[in-house]
Amino acid sequence: MIACRNLTRSFGDFKAVDNLTFEVKQGTICAFLGPNGAGKSTTLKMLTGLLAATSGEAEVCGLNALSNSVELKRRIGVLPEDLGLFDDLTIEEHLSLTGSVYGLDKQTSRTRTDQLLRVLSLEHGRNTFAAASSQGMRKKTAFAMALLPNPQVLFLDEPFEAIDPVTSKVMRDLLQSIAARGVPVFFTTHILSAVEQIAAQLIMIRQGKIVWDGPVADVPVSLEQHYFDLVEAPVLEELEWLGSPRS
Amino acid sequence: MARLATILRALIQAQTRDQKSILSLAGNNLFITSIFVMGPAAGVFIYIIFGLIILFPLSTDPMRKIPASRLSLWPLDRREHWILRALSPWVNPMTWAIAALAIWAAKGKASVGLLSLAAGLVVSGFVLSSLPIPRSGGLWRHVPKFPGPLNQLIRKDLRGMLSTLDVYCALLLSLSTIGFRLARLPIPREALLIITVLVVVALSNYAQSLFGLDGENGRVRYALLPLQGWRVLAAKDIAFLLVIVPLTLPLAPISGLAGALIALAIGHRNSVNIRPTGIRWRFSIGIFLMDGFQQVAGIAIATSLVFLYSPLFLIPCIAACAGSAWWAGRTFDLLLDN
Repeated sequence: MIACRNLTRSFGDFKAVDNLTFEVKQGTICAFLGPNGAGKSTTLKMLTGLLAATSGEAEVCGLNALSNSVELKRRIGVLPEDLGLFDDLTIEEHLSLTGSVYGLDKQTSRTRTDQLLRVLSLEHGRNTFAAASSQGMRKKTAFAMALLPNPQVLFLDEPFEAIDPVTSKVMRDLLQSIAARGVPVFFTTHILSAVEQIAAQLIMIRQGKIVWDGPVADVPVSLEQHYFDLVEAPVLEELEWLGSPRS
Repeated sequence: MARLATILRALIQAQTRDQKSILSLAGNNLFITSIFVMGPAAGVFIYIIFGLIILFPLSTDPMRKIPASRLSLWPLDRREHWILRALSPWVNPMTWAIAALAIWAAKGKASVGLLSLAAGLVVSGFVLSSLPIPRSGGLWRHVPKFPGPLNQLIRKDLRGMLSTLDVYCALLLSLSTIGFRLARLPIPREALLIITVLVVVALSNYAQSLFGLDGENGRVRYALLPLQGWRVLAAKDIAFLLVIVPLTLPLAPISGLAGALIALAIGHRNSVNIRPTGIRWRFSIGIFLMDGFQQVAGIAIATSLVFLYSPLFLIPCIAACAGSAWWAGRTFDLLLDN
């Protein structure tokens, strides 16, 4: 389970995350939505121990998430915003690193690595260095690293962005099967169709504050309209020069 | 022409920034040692090595700064592409230096041999920079595997270290000794000690910037891995020693090991607290003058004690390095929390 109470993070006078209180139960897929700079990644970083909170409490797997303990790190799987890949390791070596650091035996690590590379269509690039990989391959690698140790809770920062449709479908299916086994999944995204397809719970934030927290099924209008209503309406301005004869 | 002028201005800006990074040499421990400690005759040898090492990166094709996809998207016609190709080498000061040398040679103020050597090196650097050499670890894909959970971290750090110029500077120093041995020239015992110290000093800046090539991505991954800081540092230290030991094999390996341990013991603090950023195929950043002096003095003392008195002096060096790794590891864990 993931729970936080009055979670706040300030950068100087600016409150990036302001008194967040929410809960994600076992086996729930929770989508965390908001515009760029709303505080999504900051929240995710605090919940995964990557960033200290200014105030408030957070609990993940029954442990204090703000302590950044080795025990907590062992239990969670994270796809961070900037992926956290080393330029000097290949895709397969990243998975091998994860397996050995999380204490998996060689055979288990090898089997899981092969399976993940296969289902995420990474087999052809297994020997490619991260620095030479496409953004999609890098993201899939970081996603595979999050899954490999079989985590008790999964945190994913924009997992579907830059991913091809087939792998995106595979990832969604994987997340649904993980959640069906009781693992809570907390993810941020800008792709509303992915939210509609897999999420059971929806949290929306604007300027660091929660503006909606409830089941996706309870959204009264279309998700897109709901987002425009509560979070941010699109700026409609005609750019008259666009497409006009060039001077 | 306005388009070309804009592109050339951008190239000059990029080239200037790049050359500033090459000149990180100014804070290099070996460079400082050669100025303050070594006599002019011995210093010249070091400067020649530095010259050889930095000439290649200085001679790179400036057009490499423009991503190929961007260049092909710009609305430039064939003629403009040719003009850009012809003018771009002149953005690099090395081209002007060779032109000046050619004028001096024509006036008889410089020898044709020197001109040929310098021009050859610059042209080689220019041509080599156009070849598709992998940007990162690809050049060192086949590093050995190591037992234990730190295997891939050690391999990564080894690849990173092998993509800094420090290693090649130390390699040239070490090769000079092999050259002497192959030529069966007598090498005074003290010379072995001095070259060992120089090899370790050449690599000591890297010991102050162990996280330099990991970048922000690396910091995030370290924060996520269930590894204590001292273990992350242990992987880096092992990679460092794996480079130094073979380089000091033709010299005084045990003394070199002692010096390397002290370089690490002093370098851990800056590596963790200041985390200087490293750039591939450049010298490791050495901006901490006092720490540099401490490192050079520590390396000289440790290496000399082992070389002149007893290998038992290795024990305190191991203890200092282990203690420093443990302490810096704790700091590393605390910094990751914030």
